[in-house]
Amino acid sequence: MNLTADQLYDILKEYGIPFAQKITATSLQEALEAANKLHYPVVMKISSPDISHKTDIGGIILDLNSDEEIKRAYLTMIDSVKKKAPEARIDGVIIQEMAKSGIEVIVGVKLDPQFGHVIMFGLGGIFVEVYKDVSFRVTPIDRETARDMILEIKASSILQGARGQEPADIDAIIKVITGLSHMLQKNPDIIELDINPLIVYSHGVTAVDARVLTL
Amino acid sequence: MTLKAIFEPGSIAIIGASSTPGKWGNILLKNLLSNGFKGPVYPVNPKEKTILGTVCYPSVLDIPDPVDMALIAVPRSHALTVAKECGIKGVQGIIMVTAGFSETGDKGREPEKKLMEIIDRYKMRLVGPNTLGVVNAHIGMNASIISRLPEPGGISFITQSGTLGLALVDWTMEMGIGLHIVVSTGNKSNIDDVDLLTYLASDPKTDVIAMYVEGINRGREFIKVAKEISKPILVVKSGRTRSGSKAVFSHTGSMAGADEVYSAAFKQAGIIRVDNIENLFDSALALSVQPAPNGNRVGILSNGGGASIIASDACERMGLIVPALQDDTKQKIREYIPEFASARNPIDSAGLSTYDVYNGMVKQMLLDPNIDALIVIYVDTIVNDAALPAQAIVDIHRGKCNKPIITCWMGGAGTRPGVDILEKGGLPNYPVPERAVIALKSLVQHNGFLEKVKV
Repeated sequence: MNLTADQLYDILKEYGIPFAQKITATSLQEALEAANKLHYPVVMKISSPDISHKTDIGGIILDLNSDEEIKRAYLTMIDSVKKKAPEARIDGVIIQEMAKSGIEVIVGVKLDPQFGHVIMFGLGGIFVEVYKDVSFRVTPIDRETARDMILEIKASSILQGARGQEPADIDAIIKVITGLSHMLQKNPDIIELDINPLIVYSHGVTAVDARVLTL
Repeated sequence: MTLKAIFEPGSIAIIGASSTPGKWGNILLKNLLSNGFKGPVYPVNPKEKTILGTVCYPSVLDIPDPVDMALIAVPRSHALTVAKECGIKGVQGIIMVTAGFSETGDKGREPEKKLMEIIDRYKMRLVGPNTLGVVNAHIGMNASIISRLPEPGGISFITQSGTLGLALVDWTMEMGIGLHIVVSTGNKSNIDDVDLLTYLASDPKTDVIAMYVEGINRGREFIKVAKEISKPILVVKSGRTRSGSKAVFSHTGSMAGADEVYSAAFKQAGIIRVDNIENLFDSALALSVQPAPNGNRVGILSNGGGASIIASDACERMGLIVPALQDDTKQKIREYIPEFASARNPIDSAGLSTYDVYNGMVKQMLLDPNIDALIVIYVDTIVNDAALPAQAIVDIHRGKCNKPIITCWMGGAGTRPGVDILEKGGLPNYPVPERAVIALKSLVQHNGFLEKVKV
């Protein structure tokens, strides 16, 4: 079974993980309607069950501010994806509200052969890729354990309000982790999952993108 | 069924006993006979009448009396037959030294499966196969190829590597560390880590469980069982280096190497993971003789400044705090040390190491509410006597003392008289400050687990 992005978002929402609102559009007209409904600025992403790395093939365009920009982005994206991934099926494009900037974190899942599902937490971008500053826990994870794993990373001071910044909403991240932990108990066939980025504000969080691999 | 038949048997058959010196069947029999095990030992070998002066039986079925445990060291081709005979005889536990099972790959899997069928059918339990044996130092049972029986003590040791583990047992004897159960787990096809933790948790002679682990099979049960054990569990897990991570689907997939997951699991299970073998036994020693501290604030005192600064630096690196003492404490300590010496933590007595000076300093520091644990250092010089400060601490420790004390007597052979006193007095002593700090860190970690993780 392979979940589409929409199905995955719906499942995660059920477990209290908030996603940036989005609408799938199957034509330029629908894309325009969606953008106006969600209010500018918006993000456009290619919707395809066959594409996992959207950025590499021009499948994500950020910060679109007008109907004119939507039109241009739509044509450019369809053209680019058809050229760079000719085999991929295209369902249309996803129009998503552009999340405000905040602290980007990643929350992920891996199925370990000895211990079952483990959840990973880390700060996004170079903190994960270069410094490998992440923490892990075996599920099920309660609130206390979730807090421990958030505070365990070396860069956790950034979340606690380093350099006069307002502290990030750690309780909201805890809810995402424990919600994910509950979700995994009902979905044993998930092998890997990334919620990346999850944007953390001083109040609340918004998940912007997620991907999943199932058995 | 309990594992008592294996770890505390009343009677033992050694199947595959040999009269040829150097053969495993000979070494094992010799070890069983020469270490004070009180129960009967029955050599089994169809070709011999007596071995090492002990009556030998053609088969386990010919032994007239009941047999609790069988130590099997026959060639693999005979192993299944012999195991079945044990089942018929009513033997409850087997230690299967014989190798050539699943550790050899596909060709060994089928015979191992058949062996397990026999074990299950007769409701026996089995250590191994491919184990180097089991030791119980308190009952003088050396059912292993270890050359000497360790001193009896409170540490039980589970090792997945037979040769490494057994070499270490010899080394612990040099270190003056006492052991209780030593078990080389072999292939873990019947008795595994979860079974062993469960057994050792309720074993009254085991105070601390030390493990050398390469991999664990029942991960979730392992965490669950370990969480319920309040005795300290220490582990060295090999395979820390990441094998080149291959292209994977997600970020999480590429970051979550097996080792990271083990570290997380140990944390959740309340198991202290240490970096190496030396840390394992250093920490086990401290945990077996000292109480867990209430916090991570360390008082350090020494007769020389350098060593106490090294200890203080090491504490800071490892997340332990070296706090300021209360004014009252400092004032009282000044009565024991020269005017120019430092009464600030870490305390330096400027060379003095008499009984009274150490006794006074240690007593005052223990009374200070800012201090959870002590590291007492002595640096040996030609003008000092290593025994005097050692005796001072042992005398304090013998009284009521609920804060842990770790000692570090530095300086080679000259410290021996002091070290002997410390070891006999139940103080964990180390030759360098860093090792003392690592041991103390494990005590602090265990206390944290008792408060937060253990159920």
